Amino acid sequence: MSLRSLILTITNGLVFIVVLMLSFTFYNQFSNTIDERILLQLNSIKTLKKVQIENLIKNEWDLFLSAKPVSSNLDSLDLKESFNLPQTSGVYDVTQHTKSGYTLIVMVSVEDSITRIKGIDNNKVTEILLERAGMGNTGESYLVGHDFLMRSPSRFFPNKTPSKIRVDTKGVRDAFQGNIGKDVFADYRGVQVYSAYSPIQIFNLSLVILSEIDTSEVTAPLKNLRVRLFGLIVIIMLVAVVLSLFLTRLITTPILNMQNSLKVMAAGDYRDGNESVKISNEIKEMFDALAHLKKSLQGAVHFSKEIGEMNLNSKYLPKSESDVLGMSLLKMQDKLIEYRNNENKSSLNAKRLLVDGLEKERQRLSRELHDGIGPLLTTLKFYIENKIESKEQQAEMKKIVDSTINEIRLMSNALMPSAINDFGVGAALSNFIEGVNKSANVDIVFEDLTKKEKSKITKAHEINIFRIGQELINNALKHSEAKQIRISLSEFDDFVSFFYFDNGKGFDINHVKLGSGIVNIKERVEICKGQIQINSKDGNTTFEIELPLNNE
Amino acid sequence: MSNINVIIADDHELFRNGLAELLKKYEDVQIVKSVSDGQEFISLIQTQQDIDVVLLDIAMPNMDGFQVLNEMKALNSSVKPIIISMHDDGNYIAKCAKNGAYGYLLKNTDQEELIKAIRIVHAGKKYFSPSISEKMINFMSDNSVSANILSNKEQEVLGLISEGLTTKAIATQLFVSSRTIETHRANILRKLEVKNTAELIKKAAKINLI
Repeated sequence: MSLRSLILTITNGLVFIVVLMLSFTFYNQFSNTIDERILLQLNSIKTLKKVQIENLIKNEWDLFLSAKPVSSNLDSLDLKESFNLPQTSGVYDVTQHTKSGYTLIVMVSVEDSITRIKGIDNNKVTEILLERAGMGNTGESYLVGHDFLMRSPSRFFPNKTPSKIRVDTKGVRDAFQGNIGKDVFADYRGVQVYSAYSPIQIFNLSLVILSEIDTSEVTAPLKNLRVRLFGLIVIIMLVAVVLSLFLTRLITTPILNMQNSLKVMAAGDYRDGNESVKISNEIKEMFDALAHLKKSLQGAVHFSKEIGEMNLNSKYLPKSESDVLGMSLLKMQDKLIEYRNNENKSSLNAKRLLVDGLEKERQRLSRELHDGIGPLLTTLKFYIENKIESKEQQAEMKKIVDSTINEIRLMSNALMPSAINDFGVGAALSNFIEGVNKSANVDIVFEDLTKKEKSKITKAHEINIFRIGQELINNALKHSEAKQIRISLSEFDDFVSFFYFDNGKGFDINHVKLGSGIVNIKERVEICKGQIQINSKDGNTTFEIELPLNNE
Repeated sequence: MSNINVIIADDHELFRNGLAELLKKYEDVQIVKSVSDGQEFISLIQTQQDIDVVLLDIAMPNMDGFQVLNEMKALNSSVKPIIISMHDDGNYIAKCAKNGAYGYLLKNTDQEELIKAIRIVHAGKKYFSPSISEKMINFMSDNSVSANILSNKEQEVLGLISEGLTTKAIATQLFVSSRTIETHRANILRKLEVKNTAELIKKAAKINLI
């Protein structure tokens, strides 16, 4: 079940239950109160009318007794012939004995054998009962006789003789048992009414008075209330659903975003995701934390990428003490740096050994030529001078031997001038350049500012410097078409500076096609732990090389 | 005419023999002995006194020609050395001359010149052929040593500084790196015991360096 439907179900269910219970309780309470109030009201009306009727009868009785005893005419009363006058004084309900069936209550006085009779004015009773203040549209009060027939006119059947209407209801029955009460039941019409009832026991009379009002009238506002409550529930539920939808959106959208971001990150993609709306502080902080995490992961990724590309100088700051990833990356970097340094050192060593071996071999060959073959050739020349008789032949042979000796001398010097060993690199370069100046159509000036005594330039440095000079001059002669070359070699206390200039056509430093010449020069500078700076344009090419002294 | 007693010091036997053979033709030259290295030669002259001239090779095992010249100077030897070498560079010649050589010959020298040199040297004079002399003088002129406080280069740099040129301009003009000029400048300041360019110019003018 998704977070969204969970939140929706719970909140809306809760709201629905609360609203329903509230409405139900409220409705019930309201309905009960109405019942109670209406019954109380009916009761007080009924009591009032009961008292009024009792007073009326008492007053009539008192008046009747105080009147002069005159025999009354029975005929004036609407009585059946079969009616026998009661023999004791009292008030009697004689409705059953009337001809017309109209309600008739008579007072009888038997005094000194004079019997008097008088009917109580029905209109006065009806007036009391028809007073309908506070009874609404359907309220009425009426009297019921012992025969369960009405004694007062019905509101609903004003033209019907009351004694024709039978009222056998729960209230009437209860009242004849002598009980006062109030209740809800069906009245003589069969319509549900609120009813307050009590018996009237005065003199010989046995009547029941009831005040009633239709439930339909009373509950009409309740129905309204019900409709309104139902409407309110619907509105509240709608609002609740909308609100909870909004709320869940509010909560779940960032969570879903977070989920997606985490999924993307889990797939190994740490690039910046799209920004999302952050409403609450907690969510904002959560996203900030995520962004922070992304950033640090990005940093680590970037760093490891750099390391992977062997850019070992890139910096990385671990995010905290417990940044295990960062720490191990840094460790890896250290190891790689160490590895690279070792490799550089060993490759430099290998280069140095190679160059040393090469130079040694050149020196050996040079010596061999110079000191081995040279003297042999000079000896040959002595023999020619001693043994060859013909002056002509002797001169010719000597000439050949001389040029061979010269050639050997040049070869030997090119391989390794002995002047390097005997007089240092300055002298060796001077000799070399002197030789070039003689044979090539170029103006080379070499300025030797090395120390003649106590020079600190090592033999290895000297050989490297000589080779660099040799290489540069050879390159210039082969490719540059330079007319002028200026070289200076300055020795200082802690470094030696080699400067080369020519006015040739120059070359593109990044795309050198001069064979391995410049590569060799750079390699030799590297072996000497020196620095080289090359500038080249048409008419101005310079090499600035600086080698440290005293370092080894 | 007295005999010239000659020793040949060279590590190549064939060469020694060839040379000896060549010199046999001249009656006034007597090859006393041939030795194959410097040490042997030095111990020889310490025991044998009647030697006039030695034909000395530079490249030899144990003790080379330069060392032999220095040793002879130290021993105050009366033997007159003539260097006979394959090297034809000015610096070799100059060094030998400086260290007391009476003559300098290339190994492929013709026999006429060889005997001429031996005779001249034996007479107490020095012999350097015109081509050898030229090489030596070329070398010496390139490397004349300044007697002043400042080296020639430093003197030159000082001049350009006093003309108001920047370091870069001086470097370009003298065909050296800027760093070189900076170092020269620092060295000049140190040598003249001044702290800045203004003081430098003042001091240099005072002691007539510019």
